[in-house]
Amino acid sequence: MSVSSDARAQPAPPTVETRLVYAHGLAAIVTLLISVAFGILASIELFVPDLAPNSPWLTWGRLRYDHTQGIMLGWLGNAFFAFLYHAVPLLSGRRVTSPRLGQWIFGLWNFAVVGPGWILVLAGFSQPLEWAEFPLAIDAFVVLALVLAAIQFLPPFFSRGLEDLYVSSWYVIGGLVFTLLAYPMGNFVPELVPGARGAAFSGLWIHDAVGLFVTPLALAILYFVIPAATRRPIYSHFLSMLGFWLLFFLYPLNGTHHYIFSVIPMSAQIGAITASTLLGVDVIIVVANLLLSLRGTGWFPKDIGLRFVGTSAVLYLIVSIQGSLQAQMSINQSVHFSDWVIGHSHLAMLGFASFAAAGGLIHAWQRIPWVRYEPMLLGIAYWLLLGGVTVMVLDLSVAGLVEAHLWNSSAPWLESVRAAKPFWLIRTLTFVPIAGGFISLLCGLLLGTRGGGLKSIEEGIGTAPIKEIAPRFATAAGERP
Amino acid sequence: MKRFLRMSYLAAGLGGLGFFAMSVLLLGVWPGRVLEHQIRGTEPDHPLPLTASEERGRTIYGQNGCAYCHTQQIRYLDRDVKRFGAATLAWETIYDYPQLWGTRRIGPDLSREGAIRTEDWQFAHLFQPRSVVADSVMPPFSWLFDGAPDRPKQEARDLLAYIQTLGRNRELAGKEGEARARASCECSDDEKRLAFDSPALNASPWMTRRQGNHPALPASRDRQRGLELYAHNCASCHGTGGEGDGVGAAGLLPRPVNLAAHEYTLDQLSFSLWNGVAGTSMQAWRDLPVEDLSSIAQVVRGFHIAQAEPTLPQDIVDLGAKVYAAHCAQCHGENGAGDGPSVDQFPIAATNFRKQRPSLDASLKAVRNGVEGTPMAPWTTQLSEAELTAVAAYVRGFYQADAGGPGR
Repeated sequence: MSVSSDARAQPAPPTVETRLVYAHGLAAIVTLLISVAFGILASIELFVPDLAPNSPWLTWGRLRYDHTQGIMLGWLGNAFFAFLYHAVPLLSGRRVTSPRLGQWIFGLWNFAVVGPGWILVLAGFSQPLEWAEFPLAIDAFVVLALVLAAIQFLPPFFSRGLEDLYVSSWYVIGGLVFTLLAYPMGNFVPELVPGARGAAFSGLWIHDAVGLFVTPLALAILYFVIPAATRRPIYSHFLSMLGFWLLFFLYPLNGTHHYIFSVIPMSAQIGAITASTLLGVDVIIVVANLLLSLRGTGWFPKDIGLRFVGTSAVLYLIVSIQGSLQAQMSINQSVHFSDWVIGHSHLAMLGFASFAAAGGLIHAWQRIPWVRYEPMLLGIAYWLLLGGVTVMVLDLSVAGLVEAHLWNSSAPWLESVRAAKPFWLIRTLTFVPIAGGFISLLCGLLLGTRGGGLKSIEEGIGTAPIKEIAPRFATAAGERP
Repeated sequence: MKRFLRMSYLAAGLGGLGFFAMSVLLLGVWPGRVLEHQIRGTEPDHPLPLTASEERGRTIYGQNGCAYCHTQQIRYLDRDVKRFGAATLAWETIYDYPQLWGTRRIGPDLSREGAIRTEDWQFAHLFQPRSVVADSVMPPFSWLFDGAPDRPKQEARDLLAYIQTLGRNRELAGKEGEARARASCECSDDEKRLAFDSPALNASPWMTRRQGNHPALPASRDRQRGLELYAHNCASCHGTGGEGDGVGAAGLLPRPVNLAAHEYTLDQLSFSLWNGVAGTSMQAWRDLPVEDLSSIAQVVRGFHIAQAEPTLPQDIVDLGAKVYAAHCAQCHGENGAGDGPSVDQFPIAATNFRKQRPSLDASLKAVRNGVEGTPMAPWTTQLSEAELTAVAAYVRGFYQADAGGPGR
């Protein structure tokens, strides 16, 4: 199935591989729900540590590994692929390289990476490196899939000759290429370079995973969906480009801020702290540009894809400013190692990135005529998720401050554990709105009427009738009119 | 124009790759070279690499996410050094492929864990953490055992072998190694202070020591607080009634002491709480405020039910004295102060009868059966029943109660 427009003095309409959008979209939410389940179990074990006393498969550490790897590769990876299948043809005016290759990527990603990765970790085969917990054998398939993804999504841009490359395209190209470079560095180098020297590379990867994989692709969604849904160009292409280049300059230089006050040379630490500070400034530029482009749609746009995406931009600003602050030595020495950081990472991955991914998914879904779509459930999902992530992040931030305070006092270590337990209980309870929100998201994309999405586009913005949108969105998406 | 555009895209593309390359060089490769240089200058001559068993243990440590709750990195910060000991030097992790520094502390840092606890305690803790630390949230690793903490499988032995290596090389480097590392470390004065001048290489408040200045315990009136502290910190091993029958007791040798069967002077309790009991799983509690230790001591003394002491017939005293001088004074000292000439050869100090008095039952049990896990042997083959009874009664006479008697 494909979306097509009746060509009116336009170049041949690009074909969107909607079946691959659909397949990756569903895989994204299914792996998301499984990853959330891992997270819930791990969070319960913090105050019911004897939940599964004789089962190595369900020990806390392994669940923790699977939780974050599932979120990053399963949920966000699949959601990004779904978005790319929707956006790349529209951005480049060309089909992706091959639908058949798409089946291979889908199979590899889900049945050679995420699924077996989870099982191997639970069976005790893993590597104890943050954002790199899947074992090396799985990493090889990740790299293979990333190479195939580059073959799938990059040639459309190049075969077109690269003129009029919109900022989303920049982010897509940047995200795919840099992930391909950073992933092997983060996963293989610490196995070869020991101890402190390896940690320097781990620090780079901890930040690159978020900064070079998740952020660029999430921003590609934001820059794509906002103009496509509002049917207005982005506020400033100059700010778009400025933001892009600063981001790709600064993000890789942040890594060492995960090891401040370590034995890694102080000048590297200070360099990373400086880059982290500047990154906050850059994100202000990026988000200002995005929010200015959203003018007139209100805080909670009626178009649900747009609403998720707009909120994602706001959360991106908050989490980045927070990141800049907590990289400062005076703050880092207190909150590092505490639940504060867990709150920060949930604000980034469950807030910024997941809202972007959900928004991109919904946006793509709306434009597939043959899928079901139920806007009310998606609206419920939005509020549940926003409530859940807000409570969770506030709760963990306060927990982190309490822990930091106790660690800096002469109180016995266990005081900090006892003090954290009520906060951990609240954090676990936030699974109700969060899991509920994600289930509601899934239902919103599986129930309702076929083609309901197209109808909601009309209702969402209320400026143009559907028969004008259908031919237009294919080429107008994100590009200057 | 189009050509110009293409060239600029090419330049931008190369520039972008340059950013990444620069980050790897500046924050990965270059720090690595500095660290390598520092490692060469500061490492001891012969750091011990990991044995095969320790290496397997390291793998188990990695597989189960231990590093996601326990860091192995003491930062160059007073707050870290005060709690855990000297800041981590680069060479201390040279055998870690991959590194296990960690970025989250739910449990304490383990950089110097190897020296802190006995094997028994570690096994009991791995088998069921709450059997020895009531409020722990650590997952149980009972699947590394054959159903009991004193029946570890090879995996548990490997894991413990690895844990015991943590901090070992720094410990072995000794004063000489520290001095040399200090001299060749190209680090700031502040870094030197934190890495080399901390009062203790291992600052753990739980580490037992044979000697140490323990505080005088003030009188405590807060029995409620004492009961609470006892329940959270002591009952898992010593049992709720102090009878040495807590859930953790099963895996520990020597067994946790039956507090109800002993009278203790405040000074003795202060010593044991402050320094732990070296050679046993009784850890030190230097992280608790002195008032809290007082409250605990009060609870402990309350377990013993005082009874009228019988006056011993003179012939029994004489027999006891004779047996004691011949067989016991060697370790327990002429005056029962636990300071006999042989005592330094043993990993566990001999009981000081002047500061603690076992009940007659406990005393008899000890001379008849010995005390498992300590150098105290059973004496039934050497001594007659009359001699055993006499000496068991005799040692009780050394006790010198605090002025004012045991606190209630």
